[in-house]
Amino acid sequence: MTNKMNTAHKTQRGLPGLSLTIGLTVAVLYLPLAPALQTADAAADQVLLAIKLPAPAFKGTPKDLQLGPNVEPISDKPRAPMMVPGGLKNIAAASKITCSDKNATADTLAKITDGDKDASDQSIIFLRKGTQWVQMDLGSPQEIFAILIWHAHNMAKVYHDIIVQVADDPDFIQNVRTIFNNDIDNTSGLGVGTDREYFETYEGKLLDAKGVKGRYLRFYSKGSTESALNEYTEIEVYGRPAK
Amino acid sequence: MDNSGWKPPASGYLGPLSAVLVLLAGFTLAVWSYCLDQRPMHNDEGVNGIKFGQLWDHGGYKYDPDEHHGPSLYYATLAVGWLTRAPKDSDQFTDSRLRFTTVLFGVGLILLLPLIADGLGGRAVVWAALFTAVSPAVVFYSRYYIHEVLLVFFTFLALAAGWRYWRSRKPGWILLAGAGVGLMHATKETFVITLAAAGLALGLNQLWNRWLDATAPQAHPPRIRLSHLAAALAVWLGVALVLLTSFFTNAQGPLDSVHSYFPWLHRVAGASPHIHPWYFYLHRLVFFHAAKGPVWSEAFILVLAALGAWAAFARKGLANASASFVRFLALYTLALAGAYSLIAYKTPWCLLSFWHGMILLAGVGAAWLLQLARQRFLRLSLGLLLLAGTGQLAWQARMANTTYAADQRNPYVYAQTSPDLLNLVQRVEALALEHPQGSNMVVQVMAPEDDYWPLPWYLRNLKQVGCWDRVPKDPYAPVMIVSAQLHAGLDEKKTHVMVGYFQLRPQVFFELYVDLNLWRSWLAKNPPKPD
Repeated sequence: MTNKMNTAHKTQRGLPGLSLTIGLTVAVLYLPLAPALQTADAAADQVLLAIKLPAPAFKGTPKDLQLGPNVEPISDKPRAPMMVPGGLKNIAAASKITCSDKNATADTLAKITDGDKDASDQSIIFLRKGTQWVQMDLGSPQEIFAILIWHAHNMAKVYHDIIVQVADDPDFIQNVRTIFNNDIDNTSGLGVGTDREYFETYEGKLLDAKGVKGRYLRFYSKGSTESALNEYTEIEVYGRPAK
Repeated sequence: MDNSGWKPPASGYLGPLSAVLVLLAGFTLAVWSYCLDQRPMHNDEGVNGIKFGQLWDHGGYKYDPDEHHGPSLYYATLAVGWLTRAPKDSDQFTDSRLRFTTVLFGVGLILLLPLIADGLGGRAVVWAALFTAVSPAVVFYSRYYIHEVLLVFFTFLALAAGWRYWRSRKPGWILLAGAGVGLMHATKETFVITLAAAGLALGLNQLWNRWLDATAPQAHPPRIRLSHLAAALAVWLGVALVLLTSFFTNAQGPLDSVHSYFPWLHRVAGASPHIHPWYFYLHRLVFFHAAKGPVWSEAFILVLAALGAWAAFARKGLANASASFVRFLALYTLALAGAYSLIAYKTPWCLLSFWHGMILLAGVGAAWLLQLARQRFLRLSLGLLLLAGTGQLAWQARMANTTYAADQRNPYVYAQTSPDLLNLVQRVEALALEHPQGSNMVVQVMAPEDDYWPLPWYLRNLKQVGCWDRVPKDPYAPVMIVSAQLHAGLDEKKTHVMVGYFQLRPQVFFELYVDLNLWRSWLAKNPPKPD
């Protein structure tokens, strides 16, 4: 009985050893075959995905939507309220504005902070096509909590490559921080953005600047779904002098 | 009726006049063919492109009575494709190649003019040819892959051949007129409006000739033979039958062409987004000015047309034109313009039918004005003024087809696809190049009410494109193009990224979702160059 038991123990002890031997043998034998098998697996991955897709259904002439100041509501969800410290004011109104488009005069650029957020053509300024920026010199370092941007809300459109940066110097070399960037493919060359594009509406785009400190702000854009030109109606910056 | 002194007229449609018009037509063809792909395909053009593709690739076409017009456009494109050695695969057809067919029919309006030279008068025909070549409406819709310009061409063919028969009583002409009506029938359902207007104008003109026109000729041509009319009717029905049955492969076709009036009548009664006030066409043709856009007007043609019509009714200064023919033309054009204005359902290209009549009358008006000026200086001044007006129309036509080709400030642009859609197509094609399955990459398109046209046309080179009128149960694919109206949020699982909005038409947008790995891989291999 004892012997039998011992024998049984011997057999159980021998099993892991046997398994290990078999496993190693298989592994050694598999090594030369592995690349070929992997290629075969990869080739198997290339099989056409069998998916049942519906054919396009033919459609008649769609409705013609005319240009006009009434923006079709894109979303019926109201914008969530933003909490900011008390005593903030729109510090953009007193800022000095410059831009990348040399054709834009100071008088034209002043419209960006004149408080006129109307959708009419008279309220909108145009900058040439391509990536363009508008820069604000706030006069001194400021603590910025909220930024509101209206490009043009005369009709539903989406602006591309919206990037908002803050810096300590006018050339945007020192301490540059990005507040918002939806240039998801980096076509404007300031890094891949992770923010989503959005529709221009009368509400403007509200950005949470989280109290970032800086004197200079840059607002980039690269045309819209409607036009290659860049439009600006109004920019508001809510903050207070940095301590 | 006394027809003893009557002789068939000489073939005035041949000779130097025709040579001038052929030259003008050649020049027009060259100019009109320039940059035919300037404007993205309209929804309707995309649908027509896909329907033609099915015919070209598989030889199959079946008349669809709901929303879609007759087969002549597709068969005409087929013929042009054969004649121009088009690629074997319809996927290789470009926007320009498709639109070249309609351009040919637009230019054909000039080539048919000699047939009515003894009706309008030689000089009037030349002016009419010039106005046809420069009218912004005619140029714009001749470069549009839809049925309208074919309807106008076949109508003019029927009218011109009918006029030649009226003059000569040779049965060949009325058979050609019958074929023209058959082709109209196989082009667009609205041909009945044209026929009704022509019938009404013919009746009224005959009454005018009999009771009010004391200068009618004494010698009358022989009576119209009923056998000729019956033969023309047979040709009409024969041509329509051949085309509507898709060359005897679809017996249901002719019946469906009758059924097609039911949805149209429904729309005419107001169940359509294309209900517009009676002055819709007039507004676009006479004075159209959208914010920050130029002023558009073809009033020059309208004023000259009014003068031409007046000359016909007053029988003054018509020179070698036929007052009766011009009067018929005026009544026909007025009836057609009235009918189209009264019908609540309006799309701007419908104006082409009556506007072509106006252009012919404007030719008469221009010739009449020049005839009126006795002094050489005055005649020269008037001639220069008319040429300046023609030049201004040409400038408008150029603007309408280049700078404002897809711009809502252009009066002829209607529910036009935005150029931004081509950015979407370019992006999807670039992603397919990066995807292991290449052109077999699965693309899911989702839009309510199938509002994704002309995307199927532009994505025709991708072989696994599925189109849905909703978000399906399993929408996920390497690339998904989703209407913004669906608020799909297909990036919430973080397997896909929403890489941007693209405009289909003003205020209608698509979201482009891309598989995250595919997007990363594409970005790594395609680092964008900053401006």
